[in-house]
Amino acid sequence: MDIAIQIGVVLFQIVLVLGGVLTHVAYLTYAERKVLSDMQDRLGPMEVGPHGLLQPLADGLKLFFKEDIIPSGANKIIFSAAPILVLVPALIGFAVVPFGRDSLQIGSIEITPYIADLNIGVLYILAFASIGAYGILLGGWASNSKYALLGGLRSAAQCISYELPLGLALVGPILLAESLSLKTMTEAQGGGFWHWFIIVQPVAFVIYMICAIAETNRLPFDLPEAESELVAGFFTEYSGMRFSLFFLAEYGNMILVSCIAVVAFLGGWQAPFSFLEFIPPIIWFLAKIYFLLFFYIWLRATVPRLRFDQLMTFCWKVMLPLALVNALVTSIVKYIVT
Amino acid sequence: MLTGKKLFQTVVFSEILQGLRLTFKHMLRGKVITQQYPREKPKLPDGWRGAIVHLRYDDGTEKCVGCALCEAACPSHCITVISAERPDLPQKRIAETYILDMTKCVFCGFCVQACPVNALAASKEYELATGDKRKLVMTKESMLTLGDRYFPVREKRPVYSGERINLFEGLKAAGFPHAEKGHG
Repeated sequence: MDIAIQIGVVLFQIVLVLGGVLTHVAYLTYAERKVLSDMQDRLGPMEVGPHGLLQPLADGLKLFFKEDIIPSGANKIIFSAAPILVLVPALIGFAVVPFGRDSLQIGSIEITPYIADLNIGVLYILAFASIGAYGILLGGWASNSKYALLGGLRSAAQCISYELPLGLALVGPILLAESLSLKTMTEAQGGGFWHWFIIVQPVAFVIYMICAIAETNRLPFDLPEAESELVAGFFTEYSGMRFSLFFLAEYGNMILVSCIAVVAFLGGWQAPFSFLEFIPPIIWFLAKIYFLLFFYIWLRATVPRLRFDQLMTFCWKVMLPLALVNALVTSIVKYIVT
Repeated sequence: MLTGKKLFQTVVFSEILQGLRLTFKHMLRGKVITQQYPREKPKLPDGWRGAIVHLRYDDGTEKCVGCALCEAACPSHCITVISAERPDLPQKRIAETYILDMTKCVFCGFCVQACPVNALAASKEYELATGDKRKLVMTKESMLTLGDRYFPVREKRPVYSGERINLFEGLKAAGFPHAEKGHG
């Protein structure tokens, strides 16, 4: 009976988190279109619902009813598996993100603000993020199309390259918090914004943000789906629901990397001042995430796309040495101080 | 070599920050330069060259005299004029058939310039999309209807002075002169 209740609670949490994340994904596409259009002096979606608010629903319905096309010569099994391989790692990372401070107590049942508090939380997310690259590469290869293949290869090269500085940038906060658990990491940053790790790790934060943008294939690093040269990159041949899975994964990844950035550098659900703690922690967490997501869109409206050799040079000659030096200095200082 | 200032600018991404400031300013400005088209029609400037229409005089008679100069001026050969004598006034001519094929028309306005009696005009009709191409082959009647809609103010029909009318009546009584074939 006890186990049944526990499983029920966990399932409830999963439904809650998954529902929340998918809703955010849907409205992130809307927010992106609206913010972009505002920055470009346009109106954006205005037709479906007031101010186009129902546009994500309409888009979803349209994609759902589209014909599912598998190109001839495509490897059917891998072609069908690739979107799932991309989507699952993007969503599974949310299992360890602590969204708030307080547990919800209903009788003897305790609903925690995170699904699981893994003591290797960061490693877990990074490991699954790497699997996502497989999905992109296999999806591009299985489509039997040159554009998709090139997009997939580019994406694989980019993801693998940028994962190194991404991981190394997270070493700083890990060393400071002395834990890989996202919950412990958040708690280590309590007591005002000057305790947040961005204050002592600004370089790591910048490196993390740049690598996160590259990881999620967003502008200015969206070479895997550069329309002008590759049609749509690795999902050129995908349509209907399969395409929307890739789309979901991309936006899910955006939210996930923002979650990690907030937890590792911006103090998670902590309030910036102690007198602001009357605002619920989850509101702070969401506010920080919204700011980072807005920053992503803002950047997309601003910068043009890089060339591929510039992208690689930037990663291996600038980001990686910087991240290494940052990790080294952090470790030495931490060793001397304690 | 990177100088101190240049290095600092590179480190803090100063160029990207400038760009970010610009886009943010545009977002806050809230000015919209696009139109919600089917709901919000564009304000067309005067001199807009839309569909070509026929005009009438203030007494309701059509201006066209069937001279076919528009047909000659048309670069895309979309106008066909078949001229005929007016049954009541054999010395005056009208266009018996006037066909303007809008699918060929390039809206250059040459026909409007060529017309000696200002019978043609370019309207502001621009929503010409249709499911039936035959609707785009305009006849004189449909062009007159369009003209009535876009040009409600009509020109006065010229009135000839008494002297001219007398001359004309005299000629009519004596029989109109006509060129003999074979006499240079």
